[in-house]
Amino acid sequence: MMDPETWLSALGIIALVAPAVLVLILGTLAVFDAPPSERMTTRIVQTLIGTSLLALIGATGLLLGMDLPRLSIKLVDWVSLERVHYHFAVKIVLDHLSLPFALLSLVLCVTIGSFATRYMHRDPGFFRFFLLYSVFVLGMVTASLADTIETLFFGWELVGLSSALLIGFFQDRPAPARNGLWVWIVYRVADAALLLAAVVMHHMTGEGDFDHLLGEEAWPMGVTNLDEYQALFVGVLLLIAAAGKSALIPFSGWLPRAMEGPTPSSAVFYGALSVHLGAFLLLRMSPLLNASLPLAMLTVILGLATVALSSLSASVQTDIKSALAYSSLAQVGLIVAEIGLGFRWLPLVHLVGHASLRTLQFLRAPTLLQDYHRLENAVGGRLSGPISGLIPARAQAWLYRFALERGSLDVILWQKVVRPITSAFEALDRLDRRWSNLSEPEALATVANTQEEEDRT
Amino acid sequence: MTTILNLRNSPAQVASVTLNDEIESAARILPEQGPINVFVFENTLQALEHLPFHEALLQGADRFGHQPYLPENFYRHELKRGRIRIEKLRQVLLDELRTDADKMVDGLTTRLELRLAMLQYQLLQGPAAELNWYMAETDALKGVSPETSGANRLLLISETRRWMMRELRGPTAPDWAVQLIKRFGGSTVESWPEAKWEAFALEALWSVCLDGVQHLPAYCARKPRTIRHAELLRQATGTDADLPVNEILTRFTGAFLDQGLSRWSLPDRQKGFFRSFLHLYSQQAGMLAIPELSAECRRLLANNITPLDSAAESLRMLGVGDEERPEFLTQTLLPLRGWASMLRQIEQRGDRVPLPAPGGSLVEFVAVRLLLDRLSVAATANELGYHVPLDKLRCVIRDRMAPDRDFLPAARAFVVFQLAQVLGWVPARLAALTPTDWETLVREIEAFTATDRERVFHKAYERRFMRQSLDALTAHQPSPPTPVVSFQAVFCIDAREESFRRHLEEVCPSVQTLGAAGFFGVPIYYKGATDAHFATLCPIVVQPRHWVIEEAVPEQERTHRQRATARWLWGRTSHLFHIAGRSTVPGAVLSACVGPLAILPMMSRVLFPRWTARIAHLAGRFAGPPPTRLRLERTHPEPGPHGSHVGFTVEEMAGIGERMLRDIGLVGRLSRLVLFLGHGSECLNNPHESAYHCGACSGSPGGPNARALAMMLNDKRVRTLLAGRGVLIPDTTHFVGGLHNTATDEITLFDLSRVPVGHASDLSAATKALDEARGRNAHERCRRFHSAPLDLTAAQALRHVEGRAQDMAQTRPEYGNASNAMCIVGRRERTRGLYLDRRSFMHSYDPSTDDADGTILGRILGAVVLVCKGINLQYFFSALDSRGWGAGTKLPHNVTSLLGVMDGAASDLRTGLPWQGVELHEPIRLLMAIETTPEVMRRIMARNEAIRRLIVNGWVQLALLDPESSQILIFIDGDFTHYEPQAKTLPSAASSADWYRGWREHLEFARIGTGA
Repeated sequence: MMDPETWLSALGIIALVAPAVLVLILGTLAVFDAPPSERMTTRIVQTLIGTSLLALIGATGLLLGMDLPRLSIKLVDWVSLERVHYHFAVKIVLDHLSLPFALLSLVLCVTIGSFATRYMHRDPGFFRFFLLYSVFVLGMVTASLADTIETLFFGWELVGLSSALLIGFFQDRPAPARNGLWVWIVYRVADAALLLAAVVMHHMTGEGDFDHLLGEEAWPMGVTNLDEYQALFVGVLLLIAAAGKSALIPFSGWLPRAMEGPTPSSAVFYGALSVHLGAFLLLRMSPLLNASLPLAMLTVILGLATVALSSLSASVQTDIKSALAYSSLAQVGLIVAEIGLGFRWLPLVHLVGHASLRTLQFLRAPTLLQDYHRLENAVGGRLSGPISGLIPARAQAWLYRFALERGSLDVILWQKVVRPITSAFEALDRLDRRWSNLSEPEALATVANTQEEEDRT
Repeated sequence: MTTILNLRNSPAQVASVTLNDEIESAARILPEQGPINVFVFENTLQALEHLPFHEALLQGADRFGHQPYLPENFYRHELKRGRIRIEKLRQVLLDELRTDADKMVDGLTTRLELRLAMLQYQLLQGPAAELNWYMAETDALKGVSPETSGANRLLLISETRRWMMRELRGPTAPDWAVQLIKRFGGSTVESWPEAKWEAFALEALWSVCLDGVQHLPAYCARKPRTIRHAELLRQATGTDADLPVNEILTRFTGAFLDQGLSRWSLPDRQKGFFRSFLHLYSQQAGMLAIPELSAECRRLLANNITPLDSAAESLRMLGVGDEERPEFLTQTLLPLRGWASMLRQIEQRGDRVPLPAPGGSLVEFVAVRLLLDRLSVAATANELGYHVPLDKLRCVIRDRMAPDRDFLPAARAFVVFQLAQVLGWVPARLAALTPTDWETLVREIEAFTATDRERVFHKAYERRFMRQSLDALTAHQPSPPTPVVSFQAVFCIDAREESFRRHLEEVCPSVQTLGAAGFFGVPIYYKGATDAHFATLCPIVVQPRHWVIEEAVPEQERTHRQRATARWLWGRTSHLFHIAGRSTVPGAVLSACVGPLAILPMMSRVLFPRWTARIAHLAGRFAGPPPTRLRLERTHPEPGPHGSHVGFTVEEMAGIGERMLRDIGLVGRLSRLVLFLGHGSECLNNPHESAYHCGACSGSPGGPNARALAMMLNDKRVRTLLAGRGVLIPDTTHFVGGLHNTATDEITLFDLSRVPVGHASDLSAATKALDEARGRNAHERCRRFHSAPLDLTAAQALRHVEGRAQDMAQTRPEYGNASNAMCIVGRRERTRGLYLDRRSFMHSYDPSTDDADGTILGRILGAVVLVCKGINLQYFFSALDSRGWGAGTKLPHNVTSLLGVMDGAASDLRTGLPWQGVELHEPIRLLMAIETTPEVMRRIMARNEAIRRLIVNGWVQLALLDPESSQILIFIDGDFTHYEPQAKTLPSAASSADWYRGWREHLEFARIGTGA
């Protein structure tokens, strides 16, 4: 007879392993270029995601029943150097933060999975969609259950990878590839910040385990053992990571671009889960915010600025997906601000509620015309739309332009950040080529020609 | 002072008039597609209908950069599958080449055989690297190609062997031969095995081909000249200067046209496109992707420059001369053709939207586009290092562009090499060709381009269907008229109703079914009891002059008002929720409080769509309207939308009734019960829903028209008037209107409470037959849905189609008119009992009731040809190149401005039909089969220019069914020729289900029923 704690561990492990098995199965089939039939794909996906969900529901019941605040489960000790107090471990945690978030992810993934089965029917990329979808599910479950920063980073990466590939899902047009690349680059910046934070943490404490870093107490009662400045430093890095993932200022421009993919992936990624991952990270790391007032203030400012920009932008968007994207962003900004203000449960409830509501709205987006028609019939006339009355006439054109161009964030990033970097690299490349040409004697003669050619182009 | 006086006739003003006209005429090429919620089917290339079909296809494809035909490989696959036959290809080639078919090519083969071989065998072509790889890594030089016949292989080997033994070893042998023999080990030549000889022969052939084409110049066809700066820059450098332009213009045009999607509408919209753009973009509100734009906008505003002057200025700065201006303007419209065409539609048909655009908006759009183009090109060119004035830019780019390096002798030789194998040209024979002969051969091959091949394939593809269907029509014995008619049912001409009528006739042999355009001759603006606005219910070519509204029956007036209030409350609340969900603070409250609950409706909708729909339907019943009636009779002389202006006079009703009964040949043959069934389609989550409704009702359901007609014909006063005109309606006849939901196959009949008691049994018999037929029809439709198993029963099939219509995730609630290919106008007896696979529109017409001028037929065709042609060609183009002419896959579609859909976050507006709606459509032109004589048809064509032009230019194909016999005449090159059927007999089956069961693909026509 196993004791309840072993049961709990087993269920937690099943919840994580089921999506991993799913990725393994679909990935192997993909490697051997043997995609199964639509029916088979669906069955495999739904069974394994369903298993994970059931295990997690069981785990939640047990945890609540046992009145346990948290349970940390160590899966693998990857690297362990006892003498220098340095170790990497793969650990998951079941607590009042990870369980709701993981449950939300899985419930939405099961529902959207079923939706996509019919929505993607007969699309040439049907299998590819579900392969990437399962990578996403694994990423979400891993990130939400993670108990060490390395584990979290792993899940975080999988989510980013599958997002970018699904944005570029339609390979026959240039726009999805272009926008997928843009999102990918923003994600890299966020990932770099997270990775840096992990390295810094290791440097400071010798390990990335949350229970050491954020205190033994269960979330949200943890107290970090970093000092104020350390907390601020790590916290800023984490804030950058969260801003990239959750499309906060100045990265907001990627969110509407992410709407290139099929409707179900847009719904679950950018309406519900992926976009909240940054907020989740901040919640997980909230003891750091408690430790540093400047960090908390920074978080509030970032959140509110995002709210301001995105509510303005949301009100002028004339296509439903961009309008929903910016509306989501406004809520995410608000959630981040709530976290910065020191709330813990409120943002969590807000997050879960918002994700559910928004997914439904995204799924219904194609039915917008019918909905408007029905509402108009019920009301007996045109629906009142304009809110311009609320804005002073003199500021209208300025604000509208600002909102329509989405605060010019993408243009600024492009011209002030991307262009200087690419120009620098191009200059280095030219220098490099000239140098390598010089080092080869027989190439010396061609240098003059190359030079000439370069001048011409 | 004099300048002001002269202004009236100043050259500048004359110039801007011309520019205005040039823009207007450039805009004619744009697709004619209005707002998506009233989807109107139109020929995608309507602007080119004055040209012969295939010529227009080429021109259109060139202009838009889409495919003129399906890819060659598709046709070749169809050839393998037997859908296209070799004889048909030969026939098409003979027709095209006429006397040139037998022209010899260098004495090797005839032009006909050469072209046939090029069609039949896939000739590999590719860039140099691919070709090198292919020659080195495959067996191309070791064994003959798999298509080569055994005889040709033996011929190649033996002839080469003879040639080598006798000539190639001699002193006059060419260099390549000496080397080749050396490489193959010439000393042991007597003992070479056959495989070695085969390889040797192929190597020799390859060398001969290479040698032969070595010194021939390239005969490349003239490529269309690129004249847009951005296009040239992209070709030369890969950098797209259009990108920032399209981004800004898409956002702004969306905002300008928005019909109420955004909560904050464009400020100063009333100032017009140009001015509001300048005003908005002159603001200093953050950086722009085109840095100079703000300053330029301010300058234009400050100097009060008109759109036309600004456009002229931009053209001047870009260095566009007067002679190339029309072409340049056309190309300027094309990058955002969807938006431009929507702007034009809204400008011209302001009555179709709540927020119309003022006249001249398209011209202003072009002015803005040119402004953006000029600034973006200048900035991009500067960044790329082209430091030249803008008007010289094109010359500089062209000078610096690398010459076209596509041409490669080896690629050319490879085509000859492959053809030589399948056609049995031995190396010795080719080696004897003179350089002039080689030139002839290569020119001959290259003159038959890929597009030519596709055209020939396509003609054969269409002809195969034509032959099959005309054979079936000839072989099918007309069924004798039904002796006792239990009831009559009149359906829309729609191809979807073909199967329904067939099943109804199978279920109830005593029924008589008829077809008419689905607005049933009642063109109206209609407002239902729960509708907020009038809808236009008639073909787009007709402008209604009457209004009809539905209202609650007087005794239910109170209930109606109460329920309307309930609906109003519901509507306001859901709208509030809708708005709140998209705004910040209310949205936060909403998500935190009730957000998690949203999971429940979502899960039930997604996981159990049919049950959720049932519950919603039950709930809706309490809010729906009580029993209603149509307000149909007008008391005021002038028709209008309000009060006593609504409706028709009795005189007008009689006119409509008479025309309809005469059109479909029902005069004097009325049974006790006559049903008129309009159709519509109810489905969820589908921006293109309107495209599934009735095409003859401008994309709305046609139930109200059927209901109105039935009410008119039941009116005693109308009957009296009609009797005076020789249209006698027996007192025992009662008419009932209804609606067929083509997604769920549900039939709703209207005003049943008014059916006389004596007709109760007729009605119940009819409903029973309809009920059975709808199950069978659903069953036949399910064979096309890959997600429906093939072994469903009729009841399961009904459940399946109902579930489909209510499923949010379903991208194919039904297939609409996909697979339509033909339109039959004639008596049903000719086709009753013939399985037409839902591919034919059908209009009833009895030639024996018509006069020698074809008055009735003329007015039938006036509507039918235009409507069916529009539907057929919209499907044709959307299926031909789904990404180009069509709307592409609907999976990333994004509803924009409440007018159309974009791909993903931002793109051009997508016109045409989505791929999911046309995936099973065979793009072939409509075949009109009309039961009449050539004389009558000629008279109609002489009277109706639109019909004549469509037929003579081949946009629709025409066949005439002789009213007296089973003979058929087809219209070819301006003349009617006798059609010689190939198959004398028809396959047959006991019932429709027996014929289609187990098949998902298109089926041949067959005879159904006891006569089989």
